[in-house]
Amino acid sequence: MTALPEWLRTGADPEGAPPRRPPPHRLLRRTLAALGRSLALLVPAFEGTDSGPLRAADPRAKLIAAVGLIVVATSLRGAVPLAACIAITVGLAAGAKVAPRRLLPALVAVPLASAALMLPATLNLVSAGAPLLVLWRPAGGGLGPWRLPEVVAVTSEGLLVAGRMVLRTTACAALALLLAATTRPQRLLGGLRSLGVPQAFVLVLAMAERYLAVLLRSAQELHLARLARSVAPLGVRREEAWAAAGMGAMFRRTRSLADAVTLAMISRGFSGEVRLLRPTRWRGRDWLLVGAAAAVAAALLVLDRRPA
Amino acid sequence: MSETGASPVFEVEGVRFAYPGQPPCLDGVTFEVGRGERLALVGANGSGKSTLLHLLDGLFFPESGRVAYLGSDLTERALDSAPFGPLFRREVGFLFQNSEAQLFCPTVEDELAFGPLQMGWAEDEVLRRIEDTLALLEIGKLQDRAPAALSAGERKRVALASLLVLAPSVLLLDEPTAGLDPRSQSLLLGILEALHGRGLTLVTATHDLTLLPHLADRVVVLSEEHRIVADGPPENVLADTDLLLAVNLIHAHSHRHGRLVHSHPHQHVVAHDHGHEHEE
Repeated sequence: MTALPEWLRTGADPEGAPPRRPPPHRLLRRTLAALGRSLALLVPAFEGTDSGPLRAADPRAKLIAAVGLIVVATSLRGAVPLAACIAITVGLAAGAKVAPRRLLPALVAVPLASAALMLPATLNLVSAGAPLLVLWRPAGGGLGPWRLPEVVAVTSEGLLVAGRMVLRTTACAALALLLAATTRPQRLLGGLRSLGVPQAFVLVLAMAERYLAVLLRSAQELHLARLARSVAPLGVRREEAWAAAGMGAMFRRTRSLADAVTLAMISRGFSGEVRLLRPTRWRGRDWLLVGAAAAVAAALLVLDRRPA
Repeated sequence: MSETGASPVFEVEGVRFAYPGQPPCLDGVTFEVGRGERLALVGANGSGKSTLLHLLDGLFFPESGRVAYLGSDLTERALDSAPFGPLFRREVGFLFQNSEAQLFCPTVEDELAFGPLQMGWAEDEVLRRIEDTLALLEIGKLQDRAPAALSAGERKRVALASLLVLAPSVLLLDEPTAGLDPRSQSLLLGILEALHGRGLTLVTATHDLTLLPHLADRVVVLSEEHRIVADGPPENVLADTDLLLAVNLIHAHSHRHGRLVHSHPHQHVVAHDHGHEHEE
């Protein structure tokens, strides 16, 4: 029998070991778990069947319609046309029986994230305008190389800019999610390819769609393995070192997985082109979809340019 | 010619292979695989079994020596040219150890369609073969499921189905039963046995000696020095305790019977005779 060392038989702490404290990674753990839940919702976005006019439409028609509307949404300035665009998208999603939780990231997470990013734009430090809410009175002077105004305040112009940006990003995200939720990933990728998107770009998208969740699970496992062996806080430097090592390990795993997938594809005769089972055919109703999207886009532009 | 007398499907001659910046993981490896043969490549972890399967599948190429399929050298140029390249890919299927990497399509049906569509087969034929293969492996209910959402046993069956749909004549299997529960393992072995009955050539890499009676008529043993140290029928290899100890496929083991302690070479499932003295 193998003789165990004395410290392993007794399980005693070494002399002078510091007292045990609980590990402090709650925030990181919760963030990773939340990220995992969000990605699980997003990947894969498609679920259900291909029945219904929107779901059964040719992916190329849907791509043209969605991309066209997204381009128009980015040029809209008024709150009413932007809100109308979001409402139409939500209505189409309801009509296509897309589960509400699929649209939640677009309707909740995206507005919150873009609002957080746009917060500085609401201040008179970025957007000049009439103060609406005074936050701070530095009474002139400077902050390093910058000269501060008399007051730091939220301006109505700043709010308008931020609000417009939040609505735009929400509209664009909702349209993109509607497209992903009503089109099988393979068909979407096939559609992109037949619209002339380069093969390398389509393949990267396909692999990202398939393996994002796998890699996130890998990151979570890495973190949990670390957590399982954590008995006390290590200090910022060593935590940073661990985070860097973790990123390195993830990179190695990603590369190794990418290599294995490439070999598996070659082994099954991959010739560099995505080929689809049951390819869709462009039919009359696909022209209708593109025409309807063009009409909606024109109506939104007219509504946007209409004098107040 | 292989030891079975069949014409060789694969010829491996003096192959040496090393991953970039690493010492060789195969060194002077020579053997043949006959048509319809069931060959097992056995060796300890890191002995080069998986790498050898990658070489047989034309995914890696040797630094020196040659690997040939039906008399034609497996080179990048040969595999990139028609008709040899597509024919080789259709006839030789490779079941990877990591099913997660092998299954890269969004649904099981897409997974099965991948190979036949790459071959440019007609859609009706592809659909017919998918249906037959799903039924054969009893995975019809998984057709629209995402491979990522399947259990390990289901994933392994889908991976095998994605190969069988091309009706290969050779299967390269890398640790096919690793991580499977007993029922999934038994089902997989049954399918492989039936395929062998149909004349398929099976080359299996494993370090699990319990599989040899089910998977092999001939065993090639790789040492930890990455060389072939034995080539023969499973019963001869399994009976050679010194060889199995030397290549780290069994280990010296001590245990108690009441107050008696004794040691002997040991592998947990394969029954073998061994002489040893009891001592108090």
